[in-house]
Amino acid sequence: MNRNATVWLWRAASFAVAASFIALWQLVANLKLVSAVFLPSPDRAWASLVRGFSNGDLWSKLAGTLEHMAYGWLAASIAGIAIGAIIGSSRIMRTYVAPSLEFLRPLPVSAIIPVAIAMLGLTQAMALFVIAFGAIWPIMLATIHGFAAVEPRLYEVARSLQMSRLAVIFKVALPSASPDILAGMRLSLTVALILSVVCEILAGLDGLGHWVLLSARAFRSADLFAGVILLGVTGYVTSVAMSMAEHRLLAWQASQR
Amino acid sequence: MVNAAKRFEVIPGQPRPQIAFTGVTLQLGGKTIIENLSLGVRPGEFLCVVGASGCGKTTALRLAAGLYQPTSGRVDFDGQLMLHPRREIAIVFQDYGKALLPWRTAAGNVSLALEAGGMPSAERPARIEELLRTVGLPGHAGKYPAEMSGGMQQRLQIARCLAQEPKTLLMDEPFGALDAMTRQGLQDEVLALVAASGATVIFVTHDLDEAIYLGDRVIGLLPHPGRIGIELAVNLPRPRDQLSTREHPEFLRLRRQLFDFIKATEQ
Repeated sequence: MNRNATVWLWRAASFAVAASFIALWQLVANLKLVSAVFLPSPDRAWASLVRGFSNGDLWSKLAGTLEHMAYGWLAASIAGIAIGAIIGSSRIMRTYVAPSLEFLRPLPVSAIIPVAIAMLGLTQAMALFVIAFGAIWPIMLATIHGFAAVEPRLYEVARSLQMSRLAVIFKVALPSASPDILAGMRLSLTVALILSVVCEILAGLDGLGHWVLLSARAFRSADLFAGVILLGVTGYVTSVAMSMAEHRLLAWQASQR
Repeated sequence: MVNAAKRFEVIPGQPRPQIAFTGVTLQLGGKTIIENLSLGVRPGEFLCVVGASGCGKTTALRLAAGLYQPTSGRVDFDGQLMLHPRREIAIVFQDYGKALLPWRTAAGNVSLALEAGGMPSAERPARIEELLRTVGLPGHAGKYPAEMSGGMQQRLQIARCLAQEPKTLLMDEPFGALDAMTRQGLQDEVLALVAASGATVIFVTHDLDEAIYLGDRVIGLLPHPGRIGIELAVNLPRPRDQLSTREHPEFLRLRRQLFDFIKATEQ
């Protein structure tokens, strides 16, 4: 069997699994095995999605969540790459700073939230800080690794060309580390989404997290599920978009395999 | 090997050496890699360096490149103390796969040297095309190194070095990893390129035939620690030819002498 056909077979199979999962959900709801207060049927969740979008409610919530996620993730990316580049390009820095990083890294971000709230209040700034703090780790660690793993021969080429320090970073080190950095950024995207929702729930900031919380409190299970589905779609779409960007940016790697 | 330190002193009336080692000793990690090496390379000279593995020939080349600083003694380039690598000295590394930027195309890799030299971007494409044509890679500008054969990658590295417009070309076993046919072709191309540019060359190799075929002079190093063991002037007519030069009685005599030397060092 050729490769292409295999790929399509796998896709069809995974689609079938998803479809039967929804069918099962519909069946459970129709048979009223679980109260409709807690479990809406898929068609009701869908209707709520359509209604939410047509009256604009869900649009604004989705925009709020995307905004939190994007700002936090971008801040984490910029800071993570910058700090990671500084640490990764110096062996002395790696030796001195690495132990502190190992202490901070496994710290659950949820433990930081009360501290952030105490310092910054229930504000957008607090959300930005928490999301960025959580999302920075995969990016920073990947950047450190990427910078530390640059082929030494390339630095010698750069030296013999008498390239400036800045040129070495932008023309040699960063592109060489880019596969690691982009992989870190993809992992951080998920972290940023999770923390956006957490911050919206805790701080009552406008977004899907807040929508889900309010719907649950009001026993509007169809709206609750609509929000959850939308969050799932957001995670999926952003991750696919990131993969596509990676594929494009790292086209040169394809020829190496 | 008599009084090696004195041999390469500047003699009045002779051109100043482009690269001069004066009593150079290099210690790395407490080991003496090179001891009291003195050597002058005339402008435009093609000097080949041979020796058993571990004799410090690559290290000597790195000293000439300014990538290492001697523990004692000095290395001069055009009469100036060498304190760091310079753009006038280009290095062709043996491991071409590691010395090229895998994320840049052939054109991009050549461009790196032009960018470092401050050439305006508008002038680069024409120069890149010219350089790629010079090394026999026309029409490969858009290929990534990984899409090229070993011989092509080494040509590309040579193109990048030529883009530096070097006064001196340092080559570290550049053809060691290539098959015999590719190697012979590249030997002739390098001779033609060097003749056209007038660059000084230090060429490190473990292939004695290659050293005699290419060089104006061949130096054999002795190991532990590295020092000069033999020095042969190669008075073979140029341009060299893969068949007639290699059959020349002088070629065979030098070859014999060099083989005997290497054999003796290995005992």
